[in-house]
Amino acid sequence: MSRSKHLSKLALAICAVIPTVSVASQTTPVQGLHDNTPTFVALQNATIITEPGKQLQNATLVIRDGKIIAVDANNQAPAGARVIDASGHTIYPGFIDAYSNYGVPEVEEQEHAPYRSEAPQYNNKREGGNAANDAIHAQKRWVSEYANNPKAAKQYIEQGFTAVQSARLDGIFQGQGVTVSLADKIPNDTVYRAEARHFGSFDKGTSKQQYPSSLMGSIALIRQTLSDANWYETAFGKQAHNGPVEFNAALAELGPVEQEGIVFKITDDKSLLRAHDVFSSFDVPVTYLGSGFEYARLAAVKATNSSIILPVNFPAAPEVNGVDDHLDVNLADLRHWERAPGNAAALARAGIDFSFTLHDLKKSDDFWPNVRKAVRHGLDKDRALAALTTVPARIAGVADKAGKLAPGYAADFVIAKGDLFTEGEIKSVWLQGQEVELEPLRQADFSGNFDLNIANQQIDLSINDGKALSGELEYDGTKQKLRSMTRDEESLQFVVDGEFAAVKGAWRFRLQQQSEAGYRGIAVGPDGRELAITAQRESAAEDATAKTNEQPAASYVSKVTFPNVAYGLDALPERHNLHIKNATVWTADDQGVLENTDILIKNGNFERIGKNLRTPSGYLEIDATGMHVTPGIIDEHSHIAIDRGVNEGSEAITSEVRIGDVVNPDDIHIYRSLAGGTTMAQLLHGSANPIGGQAQVIKLRWGATANDIKFDAAPPSIKFALGENVKQSNWGSNYSVRYPQTRMGVETIMRDGFLAAHEYRKRQQDYQKLSKTEQAKVAAPRPDYRLDTLLEILNSERFVHAHSYVQSEILMLLRLAEEFDFTLTTFTHILEGYKVATEMAKHGAGASSFADWWAYKFEVYDAIPQNACLMAEKGVLTSINSDSNDLQRRLNTEAAKSVTYCGMDEHEALQMVTLNPAKQLKVDQYVGSITPGKHADFVLWTAHPLTSYARPEQTWINGRKYFDRQQDQQARVAVEQEKQQLIQKLLQSPDSERAGASNGYKPQQPTWHCEDNHDIWTDGHAHTHGGQHE
Amino acid sequence: MKKLMSAVLAASFTLSAAAHDMVPGEPQQQPVLLQGGTLYTITDGIQPQTDLLFENGVITAIGKNIELPENTRVINIDGRHVYPGLIAMDTTLGLVEIGAVRATDDQEEVGSITPEVSGHTAYNPDSEVIPTVRFNGITHAQIVPQGDLIRGRSSLLQTDGWTFEDAAEVLDMGVHLSWPRVGLNTAWWERRSPEEQRKANAEALKKLHQAFTDAQAYYVAKLAGESQGTDVRWEAMTGLFDGSSKLYIHAQDKRQIEQALDFSREYGFDLVLMGARDAWRLAAELAAAEVDVVYGAPYGLPTRHDEAYDQAYATPAILAQAGVNFAISYPGYWDIRNLAFAAGNAVAYGLDQQQALAAITIKPAQIMGVDDKIGSLEVGKQASLIVSGGDVMNHLSQDIELMFIDGSAVDLNNRHNQLYQKYRQKP
Repeated sequence: MSRSKHLSKLALAICAVIPTVSVASQTTPVQGLHDNTPTFVALQNATIITEPGKQLQNATLVIRDGKIIAVDANNQAPAGARVIDASGHTIYPGFIDAYSNYGVPEVEEQEHAPYRSEAPQYNNKREGGNAANDAIHAQKRWVSEYANNPKAAKQYIEQGFTAVQSARLDGIFQGQGVTVSLADKIPNDTVYRAEARHFGSFDKGTSKQQYPSSLMGSIALIRQTLSDANWYETAFGKQAHNGPVEFNAALAELGPVEQEGIVFKITDDKSLLRAHDVFSSFDVPVTYLGSGFEYARLAAVKATNSSIILPVNFPAAPEVNGVDDHLDVNLADLRHWERAPGNAAALARAGIDFSFTLHDLKKSDDFWPNVRKAVRHGLDKDRALAALTTVPARIAGVADKAGKLAPGYAADFVIAKGDLFTEGEIKSVWLQGQEVELEPLRQADFSGNFDLNIANQQIDLSINDGKALSGELEYDGTKQKLRSMTRDEESLQFVVDGEFAAVKGAWRFRLQQQSEAGYRGIAVGPDGRELAITAQRESAAEDATAKTNEQPAASYVSKVTFPNVAYGLDALPERHNLHIKNATVWTADDQGVLENTDILIKNGNFERIGKNLRTPSGYLEIDATGMHVTPGIIDEHSHIAIDRGVNEGSEAITSEVRIGDVVNPDDIHIYRSLAGGTTMAQLLHGSANPIGGQAQVIKLRWGATANDIKFDAAPPSIKFALGENVKQSNWGSNYSVRYPQTRMGVETIMRDGFLAAHEYRKRQQDYQKLSKTEQAKVAAPRPDYRLDTLLEILNSERFVHAHSYVQSEILMLLRLAEEFDFTLTTFTHILEGYKVATEMAKHGAGASSFADWWAYKFEVYDAIPQNACLMAEKGVLTSINSDSNDLQRRLNTEAAKSVTYCGMDEHEALQMVTLNPAKQLKVDQYVGSITPGKHADFVLWTAHPLTSYARPEQTWINGRKYFDRQQDQQARVAVEQEKQQLIQKLLQSPDSERAGASNGYKPQQPTWHCEDNHDIWTDGHAHTHGGQHE
Repeated sequence: MKKLMSAVLAASFTLSAAAHDMVPGEPQQQPVLLQGGTLYTITDGIQPQTDLLFENGVITAIGKNIELPENTRVINIDGRHVYPGLIAMDTTLGLVEIGAVRATDDQEEVGSITPEVSGHTAYNPDSEVIPTVRFNGITHAQIVPQGDLIRGRSSLLQTDGWTFEDAAEVLDMGVHLSWPRVGLNTAWWERRSPEEQRKANAEALKKLHQAFTDAQAYYVAKLAGESQGTDVRWEAMTGLFDGSSKLYIHAQDKRQIEQALDFSREYGFDLVLMGARDAWRLAAELAAAEVDVVYGAPYGLPTRHDEAYDQAYATPAILAQAGVNFAISYPGYWDIRNLAFAAGNAVAYGLDQQQALAAITIKPAQIMGVDDKIGSLEVGKQASLIVSGGDVMNHLSQDIELMFIDGSAVDLNNRHNQLYQKYRQKP
C-alpha cells in the first residue's frame, strides 16, 4: 500500500457513491431504501482547539446531523453516541479557503493572437442586460452554477479544508461568490452562503474588448462602474433624458456591494493601495487576494484597514549557481526570496487580518510545508490558525456557522496527530459530520530495533517505518537488507535472504503489533514451512520527520528599504535648515545669475539670498565655493514612475483614466533622475488618443508612497494628442477602423467630445433647477467621468498638454480651444511650433520642445533644434522636456542646446527647464526658481550647469536631501555587499529553501514612451520609439 | 549672435549658403592658411596661437611664421579652436531617412547571415540628415548595416560627397556581427520561458559558429583551387581569413564579450568590440588582450537595475584607467550629432579631456586603420578638420564655423538652418 496520505481512489469512489444511494436532501424523493444510519458521534479524549487560542485537553466533541452539539470539557460522551477514541490527537476547526474556483466554471485558457494581428474589437455582445464591457460579470451569481465536485474537493480536503468561498475568477467584476462546504453532497446541502462576496481584479481576463488595455483603464472602469451602480439604484424605473433608464443586470447586482464587499485580487503592494483608493471612495469594503509583497509597504497597507487573503506560494530562489548568474539578478528579487515567507508574520505583527488560501499554489501538497515555513519566519501559531479558520470564515460570510468548534456550528473539523504548525499530520477531515479518512487514526508502528525470535534464533531486526520503508536483519555478524517491504494498518511484510531453522533461501515474513513493544507473526521458509515468530521492540527509532522539521527560526541578512529595491532608503530624508555659502546661484528669476552668493533655507523653503550672510543657529552649512546652484529641474513631459501601461490606447477619448492611479514610486528612474538634478515631473498619459488620460505631477521624493510623491498643489492637467499616433498611422493595417484616421477627424472628435460635455452640463443644470419632488420623479443625470473631465477643461479647471508636431494640427487645436473658450496650456514636444509661434503667442499657449529630436517619423521631418529659440523670441512660454528616462537625467544640457544652435541667453536657457515648466504646470508660485518663499528644491552642480562637464553633487527637495553623490558611492558598496550576502545565503540553502513559484517576482516595467501602446492584459510586445538611444 | 559670424565665414568659401540645397565642396584650388587658432592636434598636444597650412587636400605645415606658397588664402581664426574632423563610428547615417517610414529604411537586410551586404551601397549622399551632423563637426562616419547575427560590411565615408564613391574613405572595411544574446530577458512582455530563451540563445550561437565554419571552408577550398562556385556570403568573409579585414563584434553583456574574445582568438581575427556596455567589468582583460573597444553607451542608462546611476557615463574613464584602447561612438543616425557632447559628458564622470577628444578623432581612425590619413592635425595627413568658436565638447562653445574635408571647404548649411532662416522671416 502506498504510504501517501492521499485519499485512495477507492475512498473517493465510495464518497461519490454514497449520496445517490443513501443520502438525500429534504426535497429529493428517496429511491430505494431510506438511509437512517445514525449520525450521532462523540470523539473522546481529544485535544480540542475550539478556536485560535482556546484549547481543551482531554475533551469530547459531540456531533449530530452534521452539526456540533457539544464540546465537553469534562470528556463525557452522551449515551447513544458512537464513540471514537481520539486520544493522542488534536481536533482543529475545519479550514476555510476564502478564495477559490471550486465547483463553479473555470476560466478557459485563452490563446491570444500576437499583438495587433487581429482587428480590434471595440464593442461587446449585449445579452441579458449585461454591462457594456466584457470584463464586467457582476450580474453573475455563482451559486447558480455551483455543483459539488469531489475531484476538485480532494486537493482542499487533503490539506484540511472543509469549506471555500468560490467564484469564476475572470475579469474585473467577476460576479458574486458562493461559500460552500466541500462535503460530497448535493449543492442544496452544501451551500453555506448563497450570496457571499463579489470577486474582482484589475485584469480584464478573457474579454477581447479593447477597453481597458492598461491598469489605469481598469481602475477607471471600476470607478465608473461603481458610480453607475450607485446611480442605477435610484434611477432605475425612472425617466432619463433620452428614454427610460435601461435595465442593467450588472449594475443592479452591484447595488448592495457596499454591504456585500468584494474580494479583489492584486499583484503587488502598490496595486493593493491603488485598489484601496478607488474602492474606499465608494465605501466598498475590500478583502484583497494578497501578493506576498505587503511587508514592503506595511504601514500603508495597515492604514487601509483591510484584510488580506494570502497565497502561500513563496518565490523560487533566483538562479545564482553559475559564475555569471548574478548579472541577471536584482537585489530586490534576492531580498524578496529571503523575506517572502516572513510576509505573514509581518502582517500579524502589524495587526493586519489575513487568511491563507491554496490559490496560486501549483501543488497543494506544498501548502503545509509553506505554512510551517511562515511559522518559522515568526508567524504566531494562533494567528496562523486564525488565518485558516475564523478570519476566512468572516471573509466568506460564514462566521456564524463555520471556523470554530462550538455548538450549532457545522461539524467541520480536522483530526491531526501532533501540532500541524510544526510537524503534525492530518489524519482525517470531517465535513458536515462525514469523515474523510486520510490515514487511519490508529495504526501499528513498526519503527525501531527489534529482537526477533525465529526458531529460537535471536536476530537483530531494525526497521525504519518512515516515508519510505526500509530495514535490515543481522545475524551471525552479517547484515541482510529487507526487501519488498509493504505494510498496512496492522501488519508489515517483507522478504529477506537468510538461514533460519537451517533452511537457507528467501524467507517471507509478516509482523503484527500486539502491544506497545510486543509483536508476533509468521515466517515462510524456502521450503514452504511456516514458523511462528515473535519480536520485542527495544526502543523507538528516532522520528526522522520530526527531526527535520525542527528547523531553526528564520533570520535575515537583507534590508527592507523604501522602495524595497537597490538604493532604497531606510527612512524619509531629514529636513534641514541650510546655509549654502559662496555659490554661483542661478536664480531662474529676475535676479539672474549671482556670483559668490549665499542662500538660507528654512522649513523647507528658500528664506533669503544674499552675500556673506550670517549662519543662523541650528542651520547646516554647505560650503559651495566653486559650485553652482540651480533650482531643481522640472520636466513637463515624463513617463517614468508609471505602472502597467502609459496609454489607455483603446478608445479615442479616455479622459476618465488617470496616471495618478498608477504612479509607481518604486521606479529606479526616480533615483536616476534625481541624480541628474530633476526634482519634479509631469507624468503624462501616452499619445495614442486624441484626448488621452489625466496627468499627474510628482516631486521625485524617492522612498515615499505613490500618493506621497504626488504634488497635490499642482492643478489638474490632461494629455491630448494629435497626428500620426492618434490616427494610428504606424499601428499596422488592422488598426484602421477607429475614428479618427485623419487629422480632419481628430478635430471633429474633439469637437464632438466638447459638445457632448456641454450638453451634459446642461442636463445637470436643468436637473438642479428642479424641485426636490420633481427631481424624485426623474432619473438624475448619470455621472460620467469622461465628460466630467472634459467639463473641467471647458471650465479652465484642468489644463491641456497636447502632444503635437506639425503646424496644421497646432493651429487647429488653438482655434478649437478658442471656439470653446479655453486656453490651450502647453503644446508638448511641439517640434513645428516655430512655424506658428506668433499664433501661439497670441493665443497664450506655452510650448515644450525636444531640444534636437527629429527624423524618427514623417511628422518630425521639419523639426529643428532652433525651435525653442524661435518660439521664445516670438513670446511663447517655452520649455524643454524629456519624454525619456534617459534625457530626464540631463535636461540641463538639453536646454543648453538652444545656446548651441541659436545663441539663447544662458539664464533663459536654464529657465526652460526650471521656471518655464513650473509656469506651464501652474506651480510657479511654489517652485521653479530660487526665490524666497518658494520650496527649497535645488541642485548643487560641480560646474556651469549648462555644460557637458557639470555633474549634480546633491539634489534637494523641500529642504530634504534626496540625492548625494557621496552617499551614493557608499550605497553602491552596500548594495553589492548585501547582494553578495544574499547570494551566499542562497548558495548555502537546501533545495527546500529554494523551491517555489517561478513567477514570484515583480516583472520589470519597460521604459515607457508616449507612443508605447499595447494591451497589458493580453500581453503585447513593447513598441519602441524612433529615438536610437534608450 | 555668434552664428551670424559663422555664416559670414562660411559664405566666404561657398556660394551655396543661400542656395536651396548644399553642394559638395570642390577640390581644394589654392593653399589655405588657418592663422592664429588654437590647434588641438590630438597627437601633439594643444598648440595655442599656431598656424596650419594645407595644400591639395593635405596638411603641409603647422607652426608659426610658416612660409606661404603663392596664392595662399589666409584665414584669420584668432581665438578659434581647430580640431581634426570628428569621426562617428557605428552609425546608419544615409541608410535611413525617416525611422518610421519603411520606404526610407535600408538598415537591415532580411535573414540573419548577410555578410554580403555593404553599408555604402544604400548610402544616400543627399540625405537631409547628413548636413545636420556636419554642423556638429562630424567629417567621417562609419556606415554599418544592422542585423541579428552577421550583419554585413561597413564602410567609412566622408560626410560630404556627390556619390558614395566620391565620399569613400574606405569601403568594405570589415565584417560586423551581433553577438547572440546571453542571459535571460526578464521584461514582463517576454513570453518565452527561461528554458526557451536559453535554447534560442544556444541555437543562435550554434548558427553563428556554423557560418564561420562554412566561410572558412570556402576560403580554404578557394585557396586550394577547389571552389565549387562563388558563394557571395562566404566570399564577403574571405577578408577575415586572409587578414585584410577586421571583425567588428557588437556585444554588450560581459558574457557576450568573453565569448566574442574567445571566438576571435580561436580564429585569430583582428577584433573590434562595438557597443561593449559591460566593458568596464572586463577592463583589465581587454587591456591585456589589446582589444580595441568602440564604446557605444556614453549617454546610456545603467544596463541593470542595481548598477550605479552613472555606470554608463563613467565607463570611458574606467577603460582609460585600465589602459584599454577605446573610441567613443553614439550609434544612430540623426542623433549622432551629439557625439562630441557625449564625449564631454564622459569628462564630467572622470575621463581626461584630451582622452575624450582622442576617443572621437584619432582612436576611431586607428581602430579603422586610417590614422595615417585622418584623426589628428599632423603634417602629411589629410586636411580634414574643423574650426570651432570654442571647445567642441561643450554645448556652450561648440560652434563649427569651418569644415574642410581633404582640403575641400564644406557647406555647413543644412535643412535645419534653412527652415530656421525661413521662419525667422515669418511675421
